[in-house]
Amino acid sequence: MQPAVFERVVVKNSPVYQYMKVSLVLEQAQTKLTAVELKHLITTGLKSLYGEVGAAFPFDLLTFEEDTLTAVLRVYSRGLVRLWSSITLLGFFQQQRCAFRVLQVSPYLLALTGNSRDLALDS
Amino acid sequence: MFKQLEKTPRTVLVCERSHLDHEKARLGTHVEQHFFNHKVSLLVPGCDRLPAELDAALNSMRSFLLVRNLPLSQLLEKEFLDQAVYKGSTYGLSYQTRIDEDNCYALLPNGKLVLSVDKDTYETLGLEGKPSQYQRRPAGRYVVSVDLKDRTMSPGGKGHQRVVKALTEHTPLSCDLLLSQHLPGDESPALQSLLSNHKLSEHRPRVSSHVMTSLPCPTLVTSHLQGEQQSCDPQSFLEWLGAVDAGVTFEDQSDGYLSTYECPQPQTVVDAAVRCSVTGLLLPEDIYHLLDVLRRSVLEPKLAPWLALTVHGFQDSPVSWGTAEHGFLSGGENFYTLVLFQNLDYWICMATGPHDACPP
Amino acid sequence: MSLFMDLNLPFTADKKRLKTLLETAAHLGFSTVAINYFHEGQSKGKKEIPKPTPLAQLVDELPIVQGKSRPIKVLNRLTILVSDASHFRHNAAEYRAYDILAVQPTTEKLFHAACMTFDVDIICITVTERLPFFFKRAPINGARERGVMFEVCYAAAIRDSTMRRYTLTNTLALVERNKGKNIIVSSGTDKPLELRGPYDITNLAQLFGMSEVEAKDGVSSNCRSVLLHAETRKTACGIIYTVKTPNDSQPKDGPPLAKKQKTSAS
Repeated sequence: MQPAVFERVVVKNSPVYQYMKVSLVLEQAQTKLTAVELKHLITTGLKSLYGEVGAAFPFDLLTFEEDTLTAVLRVYSRGLVRLWSSITLLGFFQQQRCAFRVLQVSPYLLALTGNSRDLALDS
Repeated sequence: MFKQLEKTPRTVLVCERSHLDHEKARLGTHVEQHFFNHKVSLLVPGCDRLPAELDAALNSMRSFLLVRNLPLSQLLEKEFLDQAVYKGSTYGLSYQTRIDEDNCYALLPNGKLVLSVDKDTYETLGLEGKPSQYQRRPAGRYVVSVDLKDRTMSPGGKGHQRVVKALTEHTPLSCDLLLSQHLPGDESPALQSLLSNHKLSEHRPRVSSHVMTSLPCPTLVTSHLQGEQQSCDPQSFLEWLGAVDAGVTFEDQSDGYLSTYECPQPQTVVDAAVRCSVTGLLLPEDIYHLLDVLRRSVLEPKLAPWLALTVHGFQDSPVSWGTAEHGFLSGGENFYTLVLFQNLDYWICMATGPHDACPP
Repeated sequence: MSLFMDLNLPFTADKKRLKTLLETAAHLGFSTVAINYFHEGQSKGKKEIPKPTPLAQLVDELPIVQGKSRPIKVLNRLTILVSDASHFRHNAAEYRAYDILAVQPTTEKLFHAACMTFDVDIICITVTERLPFFFKRAPINGARERGVMFEVCYAAAIRDSTMRRYTLTNTLALVERNKGKNIIVSSGTDKPLELRGPYDITNLAQLFGMSEVEAKDGVSSNCRSVLLHAETRKTACGIIYTVKTPNDSQPKDGPPLAKKQKTSAS
């Protein structure tokens, strides 16, 4: 058996990524969207608010559910405020009104599946 | 100006590595001191069915009560003190209240009643408290902590009278309360009969489980907590666990346009893995029991070299680690992940949100 | 921090739309909203100040706030577009039907007057066109001392990219002057899809140069201050009435009476 050890490491202030859970609401609820179209839409938003440099900022679309239009995004911590604000200011998808509802934002991807605010108990 | 936009709120991640039988191992304390747990999620790679004992432990987490519109003064009645505060450990947390907006209350197993209230309530309440650590200037929130096990707090005592007066005459506070009790031995909790004149419902924790096939898993080497060439570091591991929980597919069909995320290298692909989660108000005692079972299960040679248990705390709880104050800015995460290796070495990673104390 | 509020939902006679608007606001987590009646001040035509429609006539049932067990609270607010000093009448009886009183001044002189003397709760900052004047330190400080809040609406920035620029420019100028204090951020839209959640607004306001905490105050604590200010403004009127009663001939009775009034109203 290996000699037992005790080691403690504290990591402060350095989350590399931030994760966002968002869902898209469209004026015509029956509109369908693919993951590629969603990513493109968000990139357009970045570009209209921050220009070419903003549009080039990398972010990942980790998951996408087509029936609820819900997605999980990953972005470098440095870009969170910018990605979030451009999503907030997005108002149109192909001439129809739309709105992104940001459901949760966290520096931990794990936290997105353990949101206690979603705990619903029916009695 | 752009520099300021690149800032994100301060967060802390504490990782510890030790052996279950090491004299300095504080795993038990960590579990015990994280009072309000909302979800437990277990990942066991290398099997397509959980060992029966483990399955039973997950399914036997005790049920909890939801009491509607309970006046807080009720918690100070003699009967309640006798049955719930002086005996065993009782956990109470206000339901559907948000710590950055509303008044939030918690009853801790050590007999402390914590009231996290806004300025208006605090000023009319007339109890001594401290301004919230996270809203100091100007203080918009105050935390009042009452030790119900203190001598002056026994029924009829001076302190008791003052608190009862504050909670009945000055500002009658009430809330929907989640309540659960652990009693040593075989005694069954009497909460239900104690509060029978209130509208209450009993809830069983919700269990769900999921089998995944050909899952790429990162390789972990127990001694490499800081991440080395041959092993995955805790941050990437937590991200991978999150990706598994969130249902991220690990093969990308779009040549990296949609996502550049992949399982950390070096990796091994396991044929099957089971992910199981339980949600509700889960007591540390139950999680401790689960840990005992895990300890026996991990020794089974058929399982993978490690298994991972994540315990999520309530985001709106007034306390997170022990009695440390907890708040919510853009998130209120407080959770810990335990990785248990076959040789009974373990890693524990405790993660906090922006308005939270450093884990012990 | 306190409850999240959106103090500017423009009034619309379309009951169905108003219903969805309130439902969306509740779903996004706003606990209190104000329905805003807009009145353009005119000196000649003497257009009547609108009377607020009683809430019971507008909605049958108030929606439950997301994640809470209580319904949304709805207030009434009057906003007067002031392009001449005579448009704002101090203590006009019509104003009393509203919970909150706001003005939108169009010139520098009126902005100064609004900050220093007008008895209002909110001063709206134009975001749909270029600001015709600079913000001076004196009126901004005057407003802060009197507890009057400045309001910025974000919906125009979603609608149109030119307006987005004006919103950013005008708000940045304001934040530069008052350092992100006493600002509230509201929607100012009657379209449900233009409403955003409180945390989204908190993040957005960081583009205006506000810190995250100041930004969060802009949708919570500062709105609460507006409500308290509105309440004291009304109570102050009450005190003036008590002065008129014959009982007040003894000067000693004055202060306790005033005190009583205040506590009973709050």
